[in-house]
Amino acid sequence: MEYFLSEEQKIIKKLAKRISDEYVSKVAIKYDKEGIFPRDILDLLAYTELTGVYIPKEYGGFGGGVMEMCLVVEELSRNCAGVAVSYAATALGAYPIILYGKEEQKKKYLPKIAKGELIAAFALTESDAGSDVSSIKTTAEKKGDYYILNGSKHWITNGGEADVYVVFAVTDKSKGPRGISAFIVEKGYEGFYCGKKEDKMGIRASSTTELIFEDCKVPKENLLGREGTGFIVAMKTFDRTRPGVAAMAVGIAQGAYEYAIRYAKERVQFGQPLSSFQAIQHMLADMYINIEAARAMLYSTCRMIDSGAKDFSKESSACKVFASDVAMKVTTDAVQIMGGNGYVKDYPVEKMMRDAKVTQIFEGANQIQRNIIASEIIKEY
Amino acid sequence: MKILVCIKQVVDPEKVEYNPETRTIKRNAQHLMNNPADLSALEFALRIKDVYKDVHITTLSMGPAECESKIKELIEVGCDSCVLLSDKRLAGSDAYSTAYALAKAIEKLGNFDLVLCGESSLDGETSIVPPQIAEYLNIPHISFATNIKVFDLQRIEIERKFKNQLFRFEVKLPALVSVKKDSAFLRLPKLSLMIKALSYTPQVLSLDDLENFDFSKVGAEGSKTSVDRFVEQSFEDVKCEIYEGLEAAQIECIADLVMRFL
Repeated sequence: MEYFLSEEQKIIKKLAKRISDEYVSKVAIKYDKEGIFPRDILDLLAYTELTGVYIPKEYGGFGGGVMEMCLVVEELSRNCAGVAVSYAATALGAYPIILYGKEEQKKKYLPKIAKGELIAAFALTESDAGSDVSSIKTTAEKKGDYYILNGSKHWITNGGEADVYVVFAVTDKSKGPRGISAFIVEKGYEGFYCGKKEDKMGIRASSTTELIFEDCKVPKENLLGREGTGFIVAMKTFDRTRPGVAAMAVGIAQGAYEYAIRYAKERVQFGQPLSSFQAIQHMLADMYINIEAARAMLYSTCRMIDSGAKDFSKESSACKVFASDVAMKVTTDAVQIMGGNGYVKDYPVEKMMRDAKVTQIFEGANQIQRNIIASEIIKEY
Repeated sequence: MKILVCIKQVVDPEKVEYNPETRTIKRNAQHLMNNPADLSALEFALRIKDVYKDVHITTLSMGPAECESKIKELIEVGCDSCVLLSDKRLAGSDAYSTAYALAKAIEKLGNFDLVLCGESSLDGETSIVPPQIAEYLNIPHISFATNIKVFDLQRIEIERKFKNQLFRFEVKLPALVSVKKDSAFLRLPKLSLMIKALSYTPQVLSLDDLENFDFSKVGAEGSKTSVDRFVEQSFEDVKCEIYEGLEAAQIECIADLVMRFL
């Protein structure tokens, strides 16, 4: 079902699907096995102009929104969530600039991000500050024309590969969350290093690293928004990018579901294809029901955000939680349907199950999302 | 520089259906595709346009109105304009008639510096349409090109690889070049061009639009050749052995062996 997508949105989905099926599918297992960053696929996305779908037209993008970004992520994830997250992480790094960047910052970075000339990243998490964002310890001290950053960030997607990082640091410790500020840090700035690369369970084609700041000099004009607004920048960005995780989850689930159906039709046991057994049919039906429900929820949330709604934290969190739980269930069932063949690395569903797990963890674990949803609904009634 | 690329819409060989009465292929719009060798020719045209900005690419197709949906895909990769020569009087035309009609349409469309074609079409495989068009247009023709280099928009160099030999030809423009299948793979479309293609309508020509056209040369009546019968090829005699339970390493060895003989 196309869920009333516009003609342009259908084209975006079609083009992303083509790249996913013709190119991503061919490298997914290799890149996962060897942990290869999919720069070649990102180059293709740049050539086809899909890197700019969510960037405003005045900065060289297509002028779409969260929906357009999610359609690309969903289709890439059907074949490799590691590739999809490498694409989506740039959106996560670009959104703070779209939302809070000064005109000069937007003009400097967004057109190059739209063309795929720059890869972006978002650096908030620290070893002791994951779900508890307000406890970050990286500091930024203003000295003349520069802010001096000290500290480290952990589990940064696109770490080491990105050219531009939106980094969150404490500018005034006494103010708690209101003392956090956001900065645009470019690769190559003095005192900015990339640390350890993580050896992950899933999304292994993506790069996840530590970032280290040792007296890193960031020009004062790279402050994003005002001093002390970093927490808001992060939260408002997450509201817009959580559907991206939901899109990734829907895509992974769709990929596993499609593979399981094909397998069930071909695999013969007791003289008949697996698909003829009711136990398998019910599993396939449940997969379909859950994926369609997750997709409908995702698209309606995207439409709500892009329509200019002011508050959508609850909806954004809800679609992320539901879709990621669906992805985990569907991929696990796909492995179950395929039995031993599902459990070995010769077939892609084993990878999809590993990839699905992270969607329940990153960009705010599902437990934190449920806190957000509960807090909102209790306020409402 | 003006480049014209002839692109035929053929029926996907895996979905092809024949009409036994008319001995023609059923052209269901759903099963049409742009002929792969012609798309290699188009890719060479686009590469020339990548280097020389003042290049205009027109595509010319001949077929029923159903072809329009596939022609739009040519705009998505960067063609400037597309023309469809469509007329019921062309039905049943063989290679000779097709070449004549295409040549007349090319004359009508203007002075092209370079005409590019695929070496042959998937559904015909005669390879004689390109040289016949060149004969009608009275321009030099080089067949089975595997690469095209443009010197200065006046001269081009054509490469033709044949087994272990490489031939190089230099020719002054205007000229017609037929391009070998798989010598270049057509690039991906761009989003902005796909949006442009949404509202694009190809220019449609009928035979009445062409000047000094000899109607007796086209259609089934005007063709020099005709299809006598279709024979379904049987694969029953092909020996096939099925191996089960192979390890991944063994599968890789077999795949390597097969690739060596391809």
